[in-house]
Amino acid sequence: MRKPRVRRATVAAATVVGLAAVVSTGCGSDSGSGSGSDGGVTTLTFAASTFGDPGRGPQLQEWIDEFNASQDEIRVEAASVPYPTFGQTVLTQMGGGEGPDLVRFDMPEFEAASDAGLIAPLDDLIDVSEYDLLEQPDQFMVHDDVRHGIIFEASNYAMFYNADLIPEPPTTYDAFFETAQALTSGDVFGLAFRQTEAEEAGVWQDIFNYVYGFGGAWSDGENLTINSPENLEGLQAYKDLYDANVIPRGADAATFRRMFAEGKVAMELNNGGYATHLRAESPDLNFNVAPIPFPERSQGAILAPIVINEASSAKDEAATFIQWALEPENQVSLQEILGASSVATATERTPESLQELPFLPTFDELTDSSLPQIVLGFEAQTPDIRKIVVQNVIAALQGTVDLQTALDTAQEQATELVG
Amino acid sequence: MTVLEQTRAPRSEAARRRRSPLGSRWTPYVFLAPAAAFIILFQGVPLAQEIYLSFTRTSLLNPTRSTWVGLENYAHIFGDDDFRRTLRTTLVYVVACVAGSVGSGLLVALLLNRNFRGRGIARALVTVPWAAPGIAVALIATWMLNPQYGIVNRFLNAIGLGVPGGTILDSPTYALPAILVTTIWQLFPLTSVVLLSALQAVPKDLTEAATMDGAGRWWTFRAVTWQVIKPTVGLLALLMTIWSIRRFELIWLMTKGGPVGSTETLVIDLYAQAFDSKQLGTAAAIGMVGVVISLIVIAGSRLVARGAAKEGLR
Amino acid sequence: MNRLHIGLTLRIVAVLAVMGIAVFPLYWMFVTALSSDADLFASEARLWPDFSQFGVFVDALAEGETVRWLRNSLVIAVGTTAMSIGLGIPLGYALSRFSFRGKVLTTVVLLLTQMLPEALMVVPLFSLFNRFDLLDSLIGLILANSAFVLPIVALILKGAIDGIPRELEEAGRVDGARPLTMLVRINVPLIAPSIAAAAVIAFFHAWNEFVFAVTFIYAPETQPASVGIASFIGEVGTPVQTVMAVAFMFTLPAVAFYLFAQKYVVAGMTAGAVKG
Repeated sequence: MRKPRVRRATVAAATVVGLAAVVSTGCGSDSGSGSGSDGGVTTLTFAASTFGDPGRGPQLQEWIDEFNASQDEIRVEAASVPYPTFGQTVLTQMGGGEGPDLVRFDMPEFEAASDAGLIAPLDDLIDVSEYDLLEQPDQFMVHDDVRHGIIFEASNYAMFYNADLIPEPPTTYDAFFETAQALTSGDVFGLAFRQTEAEEAGVWQDIFNYVYGFGGAWSDGENLTINSPENLEGLQAYKDLYDANVIPRGADAATFRRMFAEGKVAMELNNGGYATHLRAESPDLNFNVAPIPFPERSQGAILAPIVINEASSAKDEAATFIQWALEPENQVSLQEILGASSVATATERTPESLQELPFLPTFDELTDSSLPQIVLGFEAQTPDIRKIVVQNVIAALQGTVDLQTALDTAQEQATELVG
Repeated sequence: MTVLEQTRAPRSEAARRRRSPLGSRWTPYVFLAPAAAFIILFQGVPLAQEIYLSFTRTSLLNPTRSTWVGLENYAHIFGDDDFRRTLRTTLVYVVACVAGSVGSGLLVALLLNRNFRGRGIARALVTVPWAAPGIAVALIATWMLNPQYGIVNRFLNAIGLGVPGGTILDSPTYALPAILVTTIWQLFPLTSVVLLSALQAVPKDLTEAATMDGAGRWWTFRAVTWQVIKPTVGLLALLMTIWSIRRFELIWLMTKGGPVGSTETLVIDLYAQAFDSKQLGTAAAIGMVGVVISLIVIAGSRLVARGAAKEGLR
Repeated sequence: MNRLHIGLTLRIVAVLAVMGIAVFPLYWMFVTALSSDADLFASEARLWPDFSQFGVFVDALAEGETVRWLRNSLVIAVGTTAMSIGLGIPLGYALSRFSFRGKVLTTVVLLLTQMLPEALMVVPLFSLFNRFDLLDSLIGLILANSAFVLPIVALILKGAIDGIPRELEEAGRVDGARPLTMLVRINVPLIAPSIAAAAVIAFFHAWNEFVFAVTFIYAPETQPASVGIASFIGEVGTPVQTVMAVAFMFTLPAVAFYLFAQKYVVAGMTAGAVKG
């Protein structure tokens, strides 16, 4: 009597194991590293937070499709990493010896990753002397004579304003403040900027313009200067605008940019990438762009390098893609997609795009005075310093401490951190 | 399994049965083994790694290279004012979540524990929040709390209780209450469903008799109903405590722990340390503090339960 | 008589209020999805959906992505449910019916795992999954999620089996049935409601899970809905209506599944919870 029962149990167990095996082969995809090889075609994954932008994502996808169509040995696929956790996710994957083959980073994460040796040196993979790279942004791609990235997008900050509400843009900070105040009434706000902790990276980008625009800097290259008098002055200007209630407090960027598009926000400091987004989303909006009217002509720039993951098993193929991207005609089409941003090499603006975005020269003229949003001399620690600075500045906005104390605390905490 | 039984073949079937009422003494381990192997592999191994990490300095960017630092991470977090604030915030959050979810769940359960037309529909609809995914809840809650266009502010302004500037999630005063309300909104369906079932066990004739005798409703509740549902309430409170200590998505998506740390609980701090500051060692130490706190809560609840049982006997 | 009348009215108002509070945010998600830009950013709120905007749902579905996200989420949720129930029943049975060395330890360990936040485990699990080639696969997420819900599933089922009189099994044993047969033939049908309750918990956990999914998945083909929705939150702008439309479609299956399983869940949750 016992034997059949044992067998039944064994059969049941075997069935479960078998089912599990079937399910796993059915659902699992072969990954290993991000890249995979299938029938002679090497598949590369490319992670970029911009793929999610409604304005630019689909065009970037088409641009990549052009590469895929240009040859039949390599296929580049967009990896799916949502913007809100982009840095954390990609750095976790790369730290674990995995992750996408190609990554478009923002500067702070780029610096941290290259310092940790997670990014492949490009010197032996790509001969950059073949290309006419823009010098000002490109200098930040090289650390101690080792090249870690190529500029994918460089985008200067300027002042966007609603031309229906503001016929003549302000040219001084006082005029800027008065314009913001005069236009704020009812459900319309004169200005908008990021001021919530949930958007730490965004706040950092926004306060950067106030600090540099008032002659300040986060460091002198050797020591941190977070609480310098110039920084205090610049951040006081930022806080004064917050206190004056001329901005939609608590609104995140997604909301206040929709408000700008709806004519409910009159001015915004933003980078060139925003111009294409606005044109695509709100074709009827009458907006224009002018330099930021702060005492010093010095502002932030989004620099976004494209890099190759050190853990990638297909570095040569990844380099092939970057080389393709650097070819003049592909640079031009990338430039067209990115709009008022510039790319790695100098490209002519086409008459069509100049007609559509007449303010392009304004952006291009700012390139020499624009700086990447990192702490010079402490590049790799930028994300940590950013966190400390932003938390303390927000504490001052919220009125829990005064601004001077907040900056002193930030200076102290950051100095302790960098050792 | 077969092999084991064959080695025991000399023993008679009857003897085997006498020793254990349900098969050989290996039987429980056979039932246990698959799940145990699974849990050890996917929870035990990582946990052991985290315990080790908590005594090291390790970067997220290079997790395989660790420097042993002994108790430095623990000394660091306990010497940090911000961490003490985090512990306070966690305490407030957990206590309020437990009290709010069990309290509101009980009120709703009592309300729905009556016969009325449409009771089935009411019971079904009330449980909807529990089924809503956390990320969807965070998105709609954030939008409803939007300072300029959120329905909550419009409503509060209309009844004259508006917050100045409408900033709720952006205010150190109101952010935590707003997150608490959202959390409790998601939890009360679960507590009310469980308590509603517990209430079915309350003998109707007892409550009726008490009411007949002219006892007040409150007295009846305390003397009869509460005694029956007390163990369930205790268990729910324990589960809510443990789950609230580790709740992450809702808070992270709504405030990231801000503003000025006012919504930073242990898990938020842990995540920020691990993924923003890339300090896996510090993050692991924070995680261990959370685990120890949860263990204390469990041990404490056992003691309370045992004490209550003794009192019941007297 | 009059007092009774007031009490009744009050109770009806209270029931309606609770129902309103429970459902309103989902209703508002629906209304927001079906609002034009002008309505969304108007000074007065529009309280009812504008069905002329229904295209937002059609567009979201036509993209193909949404359907794929929901399908992946479904595979993960069903797989996790099956896996945790399959392993949880024998575990719960062992804890309920046998006394053995290490039983207390097992119970404590099960409770302990309920306290571990996902965020703590991401990095070690990542390297473990990397070694086993489980990254970027739905199976990997099923395993990770199962490990997190299995303990609570097992505890609920243990509570339910505790409630089954041993006499029922005694009868089975006289017939010479072995433990596994008895478990399947006698206990499983009797604890069906608790299995349903545990299944709902496992399903929701896996359906909603975000932290593992966002870190372990690279390819768009394997991305579940929780990550998909997050990918709408952009650097330059977030399309509120689309996000709400997708979030609403993401919420509906979970709610529907719950309403379907509801009557079992209520019974099962009690059996598990009360005896704990």
